[in-house]
Amino acid sequence: MKTRDYILFAILLAVAAAFPFMGVPRYIIASALLLFCYATVVSQWNLVFGVAGIFSLAQLAIFAFGAYTSALMGRYLDWSLWPTFPVAGAAGVVFSIFIGLACLRMRGIYVALLTLAISQTMFVLIQTDSDCSALNKVINPATCVSFTGGAQGLGDFGTFGWREVLGGRNWMMGDYYTMLGLLIVALVFTAAMTQSRIGLAFKALRDNEELATSRGVSVFKYQLIVFAASAFLTSMAGAFYAAHFGSVGSNLVGFALLLFLISMLVVGGIGRLWGPLLGAGLLMVADEFFKEFSDLRNIGLGVVVLLFMIFLPEGVAGAIESVCKRLQRIPLVQRIEQQLAERLRRRSAAPD
Amino acid sequence: MVSGESTPLLACRNIFKYFGALVAVNDFDLDVHVGDVVGIGGPNGAGKTTFLDVISGINPATSGEIKLQGRDISKLRPDLICHRGMARTFQLNAGFDSLTIRENVLIGSAFGLGDRGVPAVTFSRAMRERVDRALELCRLTERADAVARDVPVLERKLLMLASAVATEPKLLLVDEPVGGLNPHEVDDVMEIVDGLAAEGMTIILIEHVMRFLLQISSRVVIMHHGEKIYEGDTEGLLSDRRVVEVYLGEGTADRLQHMLADRAGANG
Repeated sequence: MKTRDYILFAILLAVAAAFPFMGVPRYIIASALLLFCYATVVSQWNLVFGVAGIFSLAQLAIFAFGAYTSALMGRYLDWSLWPTFPVAGAAGVVFSIFIGLACLRMRGIYVALLTLAISQTMFVLIQTDSDCSALNKVINPATCVSFTGGAQGLGDFGTFGWREVLGGRNWMMGDYYTMLGLLIVALVFTAAMTQSRIGLAFKALRDNEELATSRGVSVFKYQLIVFAASAFLTSMAGAFYAAHFGSVGSNLVGFALLLFLISMLVVGGIGRLWGPLLGAGLLMVADEFFKEFSDLRNIGLGVVVLLFMIFLPEGVAGAIESVCKRLQRIPLVQRIEQQLAERLRRRSAAPD
Repeated sequence: MVSGESTPLLACRNIFKYFGALVAVNDFDLDVHVGDVVGIGGPNGAGKTTFLDVISGINPATSGEIKLQGRDISKLRPDLICHRGMARTFQLNAGFDSLTIRENVLIGSAFGLGDRGVPAVTFSRAMRERVDRALELCRLTERADAVARDVPVLERKLLMLASAVATEPKLLLVDEPVGGLNPHEVDDVMEIVDGLAAEGMTIILIEHVMRFLLQISSRVVIMHHGEKIYEGDTEGLLSDRRVVEVYLGEGTADRLQHMLADRAGANG
């Protein structure tokens, strides 16, 4: 991380904090909030996919796992949702570690296949969870209602509760800042993780696994660490999603959302610090245009991913970086940069 | 060797490595003592690299006993073998391509000496000092901030060596350190490896460039079809009929003999 990254982060933070007061329509606030939620998931996914180089597609399964953990606890145990969030996070970590263990001896495309299968299994399990199935007769013999809500989804388990605190007009603000808080934690966490010693082990395994193990890096240990570390906030994001909408459904682990989030990852720039945020932002805006076309939306996203893979494999973040590097080679830019640095130095050296 | 009576640093007994019906390493024994520089030569496909893969745990032996400092390592994972004090380089120019040279070496330094429990978030001072030392020994200090993907072949080889050196190995395995380099670069690498030996590192190296192998090794082993056909000093090697027949050829043997004689003359 360089100084310019910190500055950019501070600016974005200020803009995001002031955004609801800029008189934007409510549905844009709602979209921004969803953007924060997705960006959180994508940033954690980037840790697994981009930094550790493991082609896991399980991130949405973990997201849905968190959402359902929180929703089910709210519904059946009558918990307020706030205390369910850390529980959902922890449950997601355990779930993710199991997935990590299952993938331990696989590489590349096989990890993608297995994790996709896990997501699809989860999708089908929820979809086919109908009233009075054998399972529900055991869990809920008296009323025999569907445990997960099945294809209809599950509601009636509570929300963040900002409506009671802030009133009917401003509750969205509460949700907005809660989600923003989660995203900030996620971005700081991933940046710190990537710079840390653990992050170096991830990158070593990504770049050359054989060499990494020969230098003392344990595949077993760091693969489990990355699956565990990336799951907590992903699962929390799921729980926050559930708390915001007040309902969950099998679409959380469906193909459309998977494609949408993977597009964010690819468009933003896999493995890049700013990739997830850029990707989430661009795709959310683009989606506004795609929305009209319903069925064509997924095809459109597919084409976007394809084009990026071929022409901009480093994503927008990578493209910006290489443009900056090229600019720095221009003598005029170099001179300006030197003068700026000089001026800064003089100012900080001067007594005030 | 004076240290011949003590426990060898590395003791290999009856090593076999099969790939299906193919015997890549056939009943191979080797003792390496502290301070040795053992050069392994032999024709392509003789099983030299496979032997390094076997002892470094990358591709475990089918059977046989491998002891490092008297402790069995034949069933250990490569990362644990590295923690015990054995580090290797690879024939292909392996590196962590997206990272800088310094980060590449830092990986060896941060994880190569042991890595129990959940690692700390930051890098200790000792780790950074090991990196500086390894970069210096391998003459990469000035290039530390270059990205591995972009550096030329000599630096890639040195980078791999430096990341191994940063694990502070008791035994360093070097696989073809000068393959593909020009004569000038070969001399540079020779000086560097000599420097490492002078630091007290025990070294096993594989090389096809016989000039390099003979000048740097205190003992030479020649492999053929997975078996050891010669083990001994360099003078004996050049007059060994089987080695000359199988590997060197008369012309090369003569040329190397002259080279060694010249060198002995220059030194004497």
